Amino acid sequence: MPARTPAGPIALWRSQSGRAAASADRCPHRGMRLSHGFVRGEALSCIYHGWSYARTGNCLRIPAHPGLTPPETIRVATQQVKESDGVIWVAVGEPAVEPPRLEGVVPLRSLTAHASVAAVEAATDALVWQAQTSRKIRLLLVPQEDDQTLIHVLVDDNSSPSERIAASRAAETLRRLAEDLQTKGIA
Amino acid sequence: MKLYDYVLSPSCYKVRLMAALTGVKLEIRPVDFHPGAEHRDPEFLALNPAGSIPILEDGVLILTESAAILAYLASKTAPEWLGSGAPEEVARIQQWLSFAHRLTSSLGGARLHEMLLRPGDIGALQAQGIAALRELEAGLVEQGLRGMRFLASDRPTVADIACFPYVALAPDGGIPLDPYPAIRLWSRAIRGLENFIEMPGIHRLHELKSEPNVEPGDA
Repeated sequence: MPARTPAGPIALWRSQSGRAAASADRCPHRGMRLSHGFVRGEALSCIYHGWSYARTGNCLRIPAHPGLTPPETIRVATQQVKESDGVIWVAVGEPAVEPPRLEGVVPLRSLTAHASVAAVEAATDALVWQAQTSRKIRLLLVPQEDDQTLIHVLVDDNSSPSERIAASRAAETLRRLAEDLQTKGIA
Repeated sequence: MKLYDYVLSPSCYKVRLMAALTGVKLEIRPVDFHPGAEHRDPEFLALNPAGSIPILEDGVLILTESAAILAYLASKTAPEWLGSGAPEEVARIQQWLSFAHRLTSSLGGARLHEMLLRPGDIGALQAQGIAALRELEAGLVEQGLRGMRFLASDRPTVADIACFPYVALAPDGGIPLDPYPAIRLWSRAIRGLENFIEMPGIHRLHELKSEPNVEPGDA
């Protein structure tokens, strides 16, 4: 899937054996987005000409040259990833610290708001959560291009399905409020 | 059964896809929709005064609404595509069948503007398209929380086929699908169905096919 990091767009993918990887979202061959590609076994393949890459970024196979072992110089940039508590963290450069632990909550959904992080935070303060119960809700806010914010919503791991649905709807309300604040220029 | 068809039309593709998934054989009559505007010819207006395609002709029955055509194909050969009949499921199917019209006007309108230079307010069409995609995404998230992978049930129904093509082709109208993880998963589930067929711009899942093994020198 496509994702954005401060180091640029990435294709975030999971190999058949379940290992997550982050590759720069550009095939070095013709510049096609690798996030349009597909995972077969332990490799990410480009949709355009099928060049395939390992998690470590080296090119494994060029279908048009079946006898060729691709040279080491053909590679796609990669970033380190770490999975913890159901969240995939992508490091820009060498990670200095371990990702924070998120105990007691589980990922619910991710949604994009056409609003800045500041507007989303302001909306969070203003919002009386529809889903307000004794349940925890935690948001991870990731700034995107063009003043957009990716909101990862995590909920109490004891929540029932109906409480999770309520939390998902509350996240929609939060987004509407944040976008409203953004449009009005309040945040 | 005869389908008046245009290969680039998402609405015509709904019918072809439904027929493929249910094993119905269609006689295809290609229509020169663009640039010929053949669907506006008197012969076509006699069949369908609305001047739209697809048109399905089966004996004396002439159907011009894609949702009705999907229901017809399903009830003839594969009624499981109409759902279990449980009240909530019946309602969800109708809900998404009606919602599909909004996808056609917003995402479809943006696509016609970008691809065939149809006049229109592209900014407004894209904003309406994004609003519709957000609703679909929220609906799919909730279905996921109910343990169901498709819009009305844990198996695909006519509602999924009605909504899928315009959504999958949203990028043609300048509306990226990157922000919608639940929609992308749902799209993968549909593209992975047995007997799924493609249209230009919508491809099957490559990973389901085995690795093509070409020996050196074959090419």
